[in-house]
Amino acid sequence: MPDPAKRELRILRYQPGVDAAPAFGTFWVENAENLSVLEALQSIKDTLDGSLAFRWSCRMAVCGSCGMMINGAPKLACSTLLRDLPPGPVTVEPLNNFPIERDLVISVGGFVKKIESIYPYIIPKEPRTIAQGPYLQTPAQLAAYESFSDCINCMLCYAACPQFGENPDFIGPGAMALLQRYNGDSRDAGRQKRLDAIHGEDGVWSCTAVGICSEVCPKSVDPANAVNQNKTNSAFDFFLRFLRKE
Amino acid sequence: MNESRPYRRPQPGNWWAKPPYRAYTARELSGVAVAIYGGVLFAGLVSLARGPENWAGYVGFLKSPTSLALHVLLLAAVVYHVITWFQTLPKTMPKLIVNGEAVPAKKITGLATLLAGATSLALVLVVLGVTR
Repeated sequence: MPDPAKRELRILRYQPGVDAAPAFGTFWVENAENLSVLEALQSIKDTLDGSLAFRWSCRMAVCGSCGMMINGAPKLACSTLLRDLPPGPVTVEPLNNFPIERDLVISVGGFVKKIESIYPYIIPKEPRTIAQGPYLQTPAQLAAYESFSDCINCMLCYAACPQFGENPDFIGPGAMALLQRYNGDSRDAGRQKRLDAIHGEDGVWSCTAVGICSEVCPKSVDPANAVNQNKTNSAFDFFLRFLRKE
Repeated sequence: MNESRPYRRPQPGNWWAKPPYRAYTARELSGVAVAIYGGVLFAGLVSLARGPENWAGYVGFLKSPTSLALHVLLLAAVVYHVITWFQTLPKTMPKLIVNGEAVPAKKITGLATLLAGATSLALVLVVLGVTR
């Protein structure tokens, strides 16, 4: 009979150079009313197994570090409470579709490269000096891109995307949300450069509108919208390039 | 320093058959029904071009129980495809900003579905009116 004051966690462990393949390890933690999965992992690391590796920082769903598969779904460990999960063992695995570095830590290098590839900064339409004052924007111009600026780079959307699972080179939902954040900004003039970066098979066209990326997003960024409206933009750009004067 | 030896877990080949991807798979499969129905219409066009006898054969096929059963199945799949297509619609268009605020996705889906339903109904009524 399991102790009702304890909760079972099945955690996928992998130690490079020691384990040939990942395998589950079982831990029992002292349960508490408001215990999050992250806190459960921290208590395991503090009291049961100091070698358990996982990323975390803010503990309040703004840093995007503690994304992992919890009971098979991509979630932030800090904002997932044990009491909200069905009774029985909780499975914790590293994010799907990413190479595992160690235990729950995945490689983020590919994602960072994708972010870099879409020019993640405002390329101003007209350079202004400080004396000329700030770039102004109306509330409607802000609303056009604001939600896309809420992305915290947690990569849950990549773990939910089967097309990224099939093709690791696919630019993916998160980077496309960031692209739309800048392309949708009235102060920006980098649209063409960014579109040129996402035309190919590894760009927007790997997406088949599965849409789960938006459902798992902890910040309601709706990356599926960013990807799919840029399919239209990419198609228009392909046909209109014949009319464009360079 | 330990050298990095990342382990790649392959995506299971049957991901499309598991939740939460089943709804997506059903939506895409119902698109096949739209293609089959297009094929049925195209066959009618071909038999019309081949002459009255061929056309009568086509109409005879349409009236057969097999065809009626097929059409009930196709209609159900096409209606499902239409509904899910409009649920996807807000994801494929730029944000609609009205009075400085983004229009919610549910509103766009609702209006578009209503419009599609109304025009389909109008088309059915026109065709029924013409053939009488």
